[in-house]
Amino acid sequence: MSSLLRWLGAALLLAGAAFLLSDYHNDVYRKLLLWVTLALSYNFLFGICGQIAFSHFAFYGIGAYSVVIFLFQFHLPFPLAILLGIALCILFALAVAIPSARLEGFYLALATLALAQLFIVVLNEGGAVTGGPGGLANYKLPEFLGTRIRGPWYTAVIVLLLLGTLAVLWRLDRSWFGRACRAVRDNPEVAAAMGVDVARTKVTAFTLTSALAGIAGMVYAFVDNTVNPPIFGLDNAFLLLFMVIVGGAGRHAGAIIGAALLFLVPFVLSPLIGHHHVLVFGVLVVAAILLQPRGLVGLYDAIRRHP
Amino acid sequence: MKNLLAVAAALLAASTFAQEPIKIGVITDRVGVSKPYSEPCTEGTVFGAAEINRRGGVLGRKIELLIEDDQSRPDISAALARKLIDQGAVFILSMSLTPATQQQQTVTMEAKTPQMTPMNSGDTLTTQLPNPYFWQTGPLGSIQIATLLAHARAQNLKRVALISDNSDLGQLLARFFRAGLEKAGIQIAAEEVVPRGATTAEPQMQKIRAANPDAMFMAGVLTAENVLIFKAYRQFGLKFPIHSSYNLSVPVYMSVAKGLIDGVTFVDAYDPDKPEVKQFVAEYTKATGKAPFNMHGYGYDGIMMVAEAIRRAGSTDKEKIREAMQQTSYAGVMGAKGMKYRFPEGKRAGFDPDGMVVRVYEGDRQGRVVHVGQK
Repeated sequence: MSSLLRWLGAALLLAGAAFLLSDYHNDVYRKLLLWVTLALSYNFLFGICGQIAFSHFAFYGIGAYSVVIFLFQFHLPFPLAILLGIALCILFALAVAIPSARLEGFYLALATLALAQLFIVVLNEGGAVTGGPGGLANYKLPEFLGTRIRGPWYTAVIVLLLLGTLAVLWRLDRSWFGRACRAVRDNPEVAAAMGVDVARTKVTAFTLTSALAGIAGMVYAFVDNTVNPPIFGLDNAFLLLFMVIVGGAGRHAGAIIGAALLFLVPFVLSPLIGHHHVLVFGVLVVAAILLQPRGLVGLYDAIRRHP
Repeated sequence: MKNLLAVAAALLAASTFAQEPIKIGVITDRVGVSKPYSEPCTEGTVFGAAEINRRGGVLGRKIELLIEDDQSRPDISAALARKLIDQGAVFILSMSLTPATQQQQTVTMEAKTPQMTPMNSGDTLTTQLPNPYFWQTGPLGSIQIATLLAHARAQNLKRVALISDNSDLGQLLARFFRAGLEKAGIQIAAEEVVPRGATTAEPQMQKIRAANPDAMFMAGVLTAENVLIFKAYRQFGLKFPIHSSYNLSVPVYMSVAKGLIDGVTFVDAYDPDKPEVKQFVAEYTKATGKAPFNMHGYGYDGIMMVAEAIRRAGSTDKEKIREAMQQTSYAGVMGAKGMKYRFPEGKRAGFDPDGMVVRVYEGDRQGRVVHVGQK
């Protein structure tokens, strides 16, 4: 009961903040919440299950594009478009995960990198269906019970998405499956000897986190009411990886801190030091890798242990 | 009496400039992929705004530029458009990547804030969204290719080669080139792609040499890879002419491809013999100590058109500015001699389809105009 109250309190606090912000700050806040959501699911795949994959942002894009295409090109009902979008993400994830289950480390990274690049090529060459390099625009979130959710109310929807994603991953992390994922990450041979089906664990983690990224993409599609290829490009795929590394891979708090920090760096530092904010970004990433491999959360732990 | 008049004039000027400035938002890219184009374009706008203020401002008020860097990231770009509107910008000039400009439009359309890109060339920017508050004065990609092909037709080419790189934009331009050449009945005897990061373009150029084309079209936009193509071309002693996209109009080639580009023709929107260009070059060089190039001209024309529209609107009311902007008829730095930016019949892409030129490299310098328009 107290746990439920805590989740409700967090939802009210995070959603309530949106109603106090200006249009600009609300927009930044919405996008920040989406980055945090993505970082949480990617952290489960990379930090907890140990799979270095670059396809997470592509699945974010598959979710975003699919819901727009199903709704406005094929004119399907909204719930069906969402279900088909999720199904498409699961299908693509399985198509990548099953043959990749036997790949490890850099080989999986290369396979998923190829998928991410292929996705961008498909978007650019997709003609009227994907809108080509210009992407798709001129659409709006369908009305629900005669009302269109917009402004801070849509931010509240993103808050629910974030907390829902966190709740799912939190429960999974503390379940048998979460322990199996960590065992597979730390030593696949030992995990197999202990009765963990390594391939199935990898495929399940990859599919589940990719589907979560797809759902986040569907929500993103209605933030600016446009989707275009550069949003889902490799730059952002690498940025997501850096967020998890800087924050602290394997910890939910690390993903949240890393995503918030690296997303907000240009917004906060640009007015102060201009385009030199990219130097701060570079220093943060290099410092995290060299000096604090456990990320900012690891640094916090160290300070708490030795105040 | 003279002194009294001088004091009165000074007081009037002081009261004019004591008024709240007119805020114009600029979204540019200082660190991302569009930086080589966005930065000089923004410099042109900054120079233009300083010139306007030096001449007394607009409606007796100074122009204040609010410049934001979107890193060519469309999602950040849209957020910055909201920031500029919150800060009181009455107009936004977009000088970043085409998709970033597109994403800003979703905001300006909702907030009914006038927005213009003086440099983007994407063909769908004014057609994808029914946004009456958006204009584009950068030459459309289709105009650029049509102008280059008109030049090719004038040379009576029968068989040509097409070479590009594997970047998104390079592939897109190659597709436009292919379609244009096929439509003109010109046979593509060889088509090659130099991948990003290549260390040589010799294999591709050997195949093109074997096809023995009348000319070669270059659609690539990656500087290093284009230089490799020129190197192989010179190394093999090839003689067929090279016609390039607007990418060769960026002056970086004058330094990185020294001795390799003499005789290469390229499409541009900048005629160095145009009186407006000569005046712009002289004033810009005097004020900043460095010579401008075509990208500076795009930014300069952009701010001049915005100032002109606000002047004609007679106020900073966004709706009045929108109406005035749609009536634009402005001869600027960019475009062939005599070209005027206009938005006829409710259209919002204002670069004249016959306003582009084809120029030729003379030695390592961007030289004379050899063809004008699409005829």
